[in-house]
Amino acid sequence: MPQRRRLDTTAEWVELTTTAADWKKADPALLATMLGQLHLIRAFEERVLDLAGEGLVHGPAHSSIGQEGGAVGSIVALRSSDAVNGSHRGHHQFLAKALAHVAQDGLALDALVTADIQTVLQKTLAEILGLAQGYCRGRGGSMHLQWFEAGALGTNAIVGGGAPMATGNAWAQKEAGTTDFTINYFGDGAAQIGSVLESMNLAAAWKLPVCFFIENNLYAVATRIEESVADTRLSVRGQGFGIPSWRVDGMDPLAVHLAMEEAAAVMRSGGGPTIVEAEVYRFFHQNGPYPGSAFGYRTKEEEAEWKKRDPLDRVAREMIKRGLIDEAGVASVRAQAIAAMDAATAELLEADPEKQGRRRIRPELWPDPEFVNVGVRGDASELESLRVLDPSVSDAARESMKFVDAVAAVMDRRMSEDERIVVLGEDIHRLKGGTNGATKGLADAHPGRVLGTPISENAFMGLGGGLALDGRYRPVVEFMYPDFMWVAADQVFNQVGKARHMFGGDNPVPLVLRTKVAMGSGYGSQHLMDPAGVFATSPGWRIVAPSSAADYVGLMNAALALQDPVLVIEHVDLYNEKDEILAGDLDYIIPPGTAAVRREGSEMTVISYLSMVRHCAEAIEQTGADAELIDLRWLDRASLDWETIEASVKKTNAVLIVEQGAQGTSYGAWLADEIQRRLFDWLDQPVQRVTGAESSPSISRILERAAIARTEEVVVGIETVRRSAGGAA
Amino acid sequence: MSTTIRMPEVLANVTEAAVQKWLVAPGDAVEVGQPFAEIETEKAVVEFAAETAGTVLELLVGEGDSIDVGAPIAIVGEAGEVALPASPAAAPAAEESDGAAPAAPSDPESGAPVAEVAAPAVDAAAIASSAAGAAGPVAEPTPASAPHDGARRFVSPLVRRLAREHGIDLAGVTGSGPDGRIVRRDITALLEGGAAAPAAQAPAAPTPAPAPAAAVPAAAAPAPEGVEVVRHSRMRATIARRLTESKSSVPHFYLTADCRVDALLDMRRQINAGGQVKVSVNDLVVKAVAGAFADVPEANRTWGDDGMHVHSSVDIGIAVSLEDGLVVPVVRGVEGLSVSALGARIAELAGRGREGRLTLAQLEGGSFTVSNLGMFGTQAFSAIINPPHAGILAVGAASARPVVVDGALEVGQVMTVTLSADHRAWDGALAARWLAAFVARIESPLSILA
Ligand SMILES: Cc1ncc(C[n+]2csc(CCOP(=O)(O)OP(=O)(O)O)c2C)c(N)n1
Ligand SMILES: [Mg+2]
Repeated sequence: MPQRRRLDTTAEWVELTTTAADWKKADPALLATMLGQLHLIRAFEERVLDLAGEGLVHGPAHSSIGQEGGAVGSIVALRSSDAVNGSHRGHHQFLAKALAHVAQDGLALDALVTADIQTVLQKTLAEILGLAQGYCRGRGGSMHLQWFEAGALGTNAIVGGGAPMATGNAWAQKEAGTTDFTINYFGDGAAQIGSVLESMNLAAAWKLPVCFFIENNLYAVATRIEESVADTRLSVRGQGFGIPSWRVDGMDPLAVHLAMEEAAAVMRSGGGPTIVEAEVYRFFHQNGPYPGSAFGYRTKEEEAEWKKRDPLDRVAREMIKRGLIDEAGVASVRAQAIAAMDAATAELLEADPEKQGRRRIRPELWPDPEFVNVGVRGDASELESLRVLDPSVSDAARESMKFVDAVAAVMDRRMSEDERIVVLGEDIHRLKGGTNGATKGLADAHPGRVLGTPISENAFMGLGGGLALDGRYRPVVEFMYPDFMWVAADQVFNQVGKARHMFGGDNPVPLVLRTKVAMGSGYGSQHLMDPAGVFATSPGWRIVAPSSAADYVGLMNAALALQDPVLVIEHVDLYNEKDEILAGDLDYIIPPGTAAVRREGSEMTVISYLSMVRHCAEAIEQTGADAELIDLRWLDRASLDWETIEASVKKTNAVLIVEQGAQGTSYGAWLADEIQRRLFDWLDQPVQRVTGAESSPSISRILERAAIARTEEVVVGIETVRRSAGGAA
Repeated sequence: MSTTIRMPEVLANVTEAAVQKWLVAPGDAVEVGQPFAEIETEKAVVEFAAETAGTVLELLVGEGDSIDVGAPIAIVGEAGEVALPASPAAAPAAEESDGAAPAAPSDPESGAPVAEVAAPAVDAAAIASSAAGAAGPVAEPTPASAPHDGARRFVSPLVRRLAREHGIDLAGVTGSGPDGRIVRRDITALLEGGAAAPAAQAPAAPTPAPAPAAAVPAAAAPAPEGVEVVRHSRMRATIARRLTESKSSVPHFYLTADCRVDALLDMRRQINAGGQVKVSVNDLVVKAVAGAFADVPEANRTWGDDGMHVHSSVDIGIAVSLEDGLVVPVVRGVEGLSVSALGARIAELAGRGREGRLTLAQLEGGSFTVSNLGMFGTQAFSAIINPPHAGILAVGAASARPVVVDGALEVGQVMTVTLSADHRAWDGALAARWLAAFVARIESPLSILA
């Protein structure tokens, strides 16, 4: 008979409810501020639904009516330097944070709407309507509200997508030595998604001051919580991650406030993350002005029960009980809030001259269509003051060094010069510099700045994104293999890549993502992709793919200095090559738009990057082709050296694009398309390409070789170009 | 009901034009205002927008074929309407006799220019030939690239462009690329043959043009042994015609001067050392030309049959050499431009010229031309006036030459310029005064900047 002993988790988990004594004891100013905020948010949300009903809100309007208590109770006592982010249902959190920021001494109920508050209401409404005067210039709309100065990091339309970035923000707050913290809001539905769970774990492991605030409103769109989880008390998650957790009635703003005070004490004192689960209820459906019961997934009776617990009534009732306000006073608060919304609306709308009795957006308030691409990335002007050097034309002295040592050396150099740089990734702090030695020596030389992460690409990529947005640190994230980007795809593409543009174009996301192509190493179908094509077709990212150690130094320096996310692609074939760098010089940059012509020629233009540049050179030599070989270095749309490509194609009239990897996610497809449109009248034959096979490379050595391109395939490509040049020799 | 679309008169007084490129194909639905074709005249390529909505039933002329203004080029009808019965040539001819007789200002579909169309006889001839040229089965959706034997000919984009630019007829060319595609190699011989003659000439400026016979249709006489006849490009034919006309109808006279340019070159070096702005000798010459007109304003006039045209601003044509040919875009108001702005403007116009993107407005007007062959090392030359201009200054290369200063021999930088003037507009004394003013400006270069 085995012995069995019951185990307990170490994490606190409590339910917090208020007593009459708590309400009696509560600071009248706190109660007044909460009541004022609740009414302002309610009037705001009602107005949004009115406008949605009139067809003036483009896209969904996710109303927070009914749930205001959770946001107001948790934010009312925050500092401006504390931060929040949230999800698709985020108006109430954004407004609560913005109001707390502009009215730091609380609200006066007899003169509720100050000029600053009026501005907040109008700018927020303008953003939701998609207008140029909004916080994100109309780009973000209802689901992407960001106001950095107020500590509103940006709401997110990917459920749970904000959790990793909130964790990153908390890392910066902690590392900078502050006692600030960050709250990440999300729903019961989002509580099931990987990003949230990964972030909880990472925050707990690293003791980061972030609160995972679950607005449990029982429904994810029309799916009831019992259908999704076994234990519907979602704060139970803290038990699994070692995070102290609170469960609280979200319709009671004071209870939320008190729970958050306790949680804040933990976070501000270095106790790590917290979870607060607030039971709330949205009075309307997922979006739009109809109740959920109209869609048949819940009953009118259930809705009526919850409406009795309206947080606005609750606070008003308790304040009246204490003689802090009377019915007329409450009515006046509501009237002031509605008047403020009337004023904000009047600034943005006018009578529609074409449709009697209808309103329309004032036409002059729309963003200029020309603004559509502004701010997808920065203008790279931050590189202007840096020393440019192109090793391919420099005759400076060389010193020999293996490629992989140059990778570590330049990072070491930059970390010594720039305190902000932090490096994150799996096992990068061990094994003498990670699995390949690319981070050799960094952990010892820069303690605390080389972070071995749990295996959670979404969380640590997003943590990097949060750091980048915050701006105090410069994250360098490593993916052990490129294919892992799919696991982290939300953070890589939806968050980091889009954040700058989506939130208005001004707030940069300086982040470097390193990864290595490992084709030929036998790691098989799920490790051996070339990520260039996927990144090149995703907005926001810049890409470098160095073919030599000396180029690596200049390209990495540029990547680290840029205010944009930059993917740095390495290749295992290059790591252990004998290579050379400029003697004693680790400080120059190779800026965007500088390809290198490795060989001049007139018969055809061969375009490649990374390790394939060497294979191309070999193939050119073997075939005796008079080919011009262009090493792209920078691959993305904004950074590509068109001038060099155009000059070459105009000379040769024939193009061969060479890459190693599979056809489907290929980089060359994108490039070929651009070339044929820009240079159609200069082409004497189709843009020819060398790629791997359709399949991903298999583990079997023979099949792997058959799936990828090397010198032999380039030779075939060159011969194809020659055949297509006619002349029937 | 189908409507005949006619070759528009895209420029005043242009009687002939070609569809450079069809922007629609048979079967396409077109709307009013939709780009229909690129029309190429001697001076410019302009986009012709549809003036009729409907479905393109048939294109009557091939790309590159010149036809008279007013001749039918396409038929537009209702969707579903099958193209006209019987021979494609017959149908437009019938349309033509309907449409041209009332000279058609009342025909809302055929566009204003039709009203000005001249002799119907010419039109009829043009239709006959163009319709025959376009041939092809009615339903054949393939535009362009003349399907001579009914099969599609494959031509690489590069070759298409080169053929257009050099006026090469690909009909007789055999393609050696995949699927018989005509590729660059298949026309290199033609290109070299065609380019040889003009390359031997200085490739710029209205210098002596090729034999006037150039205007004669190439097909007329069989080519002598060892000579291959390459069809003239439109530009080449234009150069031949206009310069022949100029040389034979404008009374030219010539004045030559040597200018000491040490100071000018020094000043240029200083300017260019100073900043990002790079100024060329040519920019300074053009600016000095404007200065000479300020000094001798009465010279700023050109001959017109109706009377002397007196110009109020200094608009100067700049001869820009192209791969095979030249264009003369006009910089307006040179007197008011700084040297750097002038340089930028010239560079822009030259760039547009090389890309074939000059608009008509950029090619018209002006009173004087500057042609500079200095960059080729040419020491001195005389140029043919570019009508309607009154003169052209042919500028040679600056070079070190012996000069006599105060009776002593020294080495100086000298640049020889030759003024060709139209005696109808300028007399010898006026030309001499103008040229002296120009030399004075060039030799004390600060006056150019002033
Ligand atoms: C990753 C992802 N999956 C699905 C959606 C579509 N979607 C938007 S809101 C939502 C429901 C979210 O429910 P919950 O997290 O409980 O938040 P609530 O709407 O209740 O506030 C869904 C499925 C999404 N935006 N992102
Ligand atoms: Mg929910």
